[in-house]
Amino acid sequence: MAEAQLTGWFGPGAQPRRGVHFAALLVMAAVIALPWIEPDKFTLHILSLIAIASIAAMGLQVLLGYSGQLSIGQAAFYGIGAYTSALLTAKLGVPFPLALLGAGIAAAIASLLMVPITRLTGAYLAVATLGFSIIVYLFIKNEEWLTGGSYGFIAIPRAELFGHVLREPMSSYYLNVGVAAIVYFTFARIESSRFGRAINAIRLDADAARASGIHVTLLKSECFVIAAFVAGLAGSLYAHEVRYLAPNDFTFWKSIEILIMVVIGGVGSLAGAILGAAVVVGLPEYLRAIGDYRMLVFGAILIATMLFGEGGLAALCATLARRVGALLARLPRKLSIRNEAAQ
Amino acid sequence: MSTDAHADEWLLEARGVTRRFGGLLAVDAVDLAVRRGSVHGLIGPNGAGKTTLLNLIAGVYRVSSGVLRFRAQDITQHSTAKRARAGIRRTFQNLKLFSEMTALENVAIGLHAQTHAGFFDAVLSTPRHRREERSIRDRSMAVLHFVGLGDVVRARADTLAYGHRRLLEIARAIVAQPTLLLLDEPAAGLNVTEAAHVSDLIARIRDDGTTVVLVEHHMDVVMRVSDEITVLNYGRRLARGTPAQIQEDPGVIEAYLGRSGGNESAQA
Repeated sequence: MAEAQLTGWFGPGAQPRRGVHFAALLVMAAVIALPWIEPDKFTLHILSLIAIASIAAMGLQVLLGYSGQLSIGQAAFYGIGAYTSALLTAKLGVPFPLALLGAGIAAAIASLLMVPITRLTGAYLAVATLGFSIIVYLFIKNEEWLTGGSYGFIAIPRAELFGHVLREPMSSYYLNVGVAAIVYFTFARIESSRFGRAINAIRLDADAARASGIHVTLLKSECFVIAAFVAGLAGSLYAHEVRYLAPNDFTFWKSIEILIMVVIGGVGSLAGAILGAAVVVGLPEYLRAIGDYRMLVFGAILIATMLFGEGGLAALCATLARRVGALLARLPRKLSIRNEAAQ
Repeated sequence: MSTDAHADEWLLEARGVTRRFGGLLAVDAVDLAVRRGSVHGLIGPNGAGKTTLLNLIAGVYRVSSGVLRFRAQDITQHSTAKRARAGIRRTFQNLKLFSEMTALENVAIGLHAQTHAGFFDAVLSTPRHRREERSIRDRSMAVLHFVGLGDVVRARADTLAYGHRRLLEIARAIVAQPTLLLLDEPAAGLNVTEAAHVSDLIARIRDDGTTVVLVEHHMDVVMRVSDEITVLNYGRRLARGTPAQIQEDPGVIEAYLGRSGGNESAQA
């Protein structure tokens, strides 16, 4: 109860938030029940990949959607996380949970290199992040002794938790979805906090933020570190889900994919980042039936989503939910009127 | 001892403050002394350098030469954020509110430097975080009521009426109880009633212990609330005195009536 009050304090009223929490609970129930209803290995694998992608997308959401910094180099941190985890488990025999944490930390440390560029904004910042990701890609591709180079990194062990190797797609599904859920609820908490308000303020008006005593470059750097940390986690989960890494998984295109997830999902919306990940990862898989046309259809869907407005899928879903809610609210009244008429 | 007494009386001192923009001298060797606990009006024709001087005090621009002293400390090289944390807050001529945030959230940002909860406090919902959030909310609410926005605390800033937005800027600037408040045309675009409310508000802010530097074109507002006035013209100080002295000053009268509008191209 105290929690509900806390989140409602600064927002535009508690009512819509309660709706959001209810929706989150419904989604969680569905996510937990799903493997029992649809235990198809392929589906679970795709859902795992969606959960993994959504983690990286939520990180970029904090960076872009909250603090307003456009990065088109998140694949660098994703890649650093993936290779760190692969190296730690396959070459050094580090247990998976530690490797997962290590992957996040390695990516976070690498992101400290970005601190000097947080003074940049807009396109300048974006190009600088791109430059960083190109360097990381070239490193992965050329340092064969460490990463396997173009041959790829093979024989990555499966994830294991508490001594249990996660052999079943269902168990790795729960791992990936579980980490995604933790990231979601972590970021949801900062939305209405001093930190969350400050980074939003920086995005909305950096001058006014400075005039309120906010240390703009420090907070911007913190957002880079947070986004990199979770991108590293996502990379680690990916490495152990797919168990084979190639440099081409971490090119410029991967960064763009993560950006597309955030933008079509709805910039500024955590749930949107997850929806966006579902579309970007899931759709091409299910469009395989139409062969070469699938990327064409995918592109058309991107354009159509953008035409629906800036809010992306999250805003679209919210509008739909509101309409359905209004309809349901009117329904009993209509029925009672009809009953009265019948009497 | 004597320097302490000096600093007690003069909260802010600008000595020979100059700012060049290319070949233009926007502010030219201006001296300004602001008495602690006073409202200091800063007036002058368009392009006189009032807003530039305010931006130099706030740290948006660095001085080309000269010295700024705040509470007897040299702040000439301090950043905007550092000056804000030291107790210099401001409003903006062209309203700079956080448009997508509620009125309450806008004011809460003003307390950022007074509070300490970080990322992990929020995630773990530590007692410190909850205590701070509660106090931020209470203080922000109190200030919104103080400026007369008690009815719109949960409205988004960009949905507020223009006059309310002006008040919200002031609320955000005073919530941390700054030592020095810089107001950049707080009554611009307001009608007579609203402007009178703002003058009243400025007087109450001063009475609560905040020193105010006021840049304003509404002469009735300036003359009503200022304890002292500095007049700028062409980037230089033209006159200084009480409102009564300024209204009698022949140089000021000439600048306003004789040659008004002759310097439009200079920095506003």
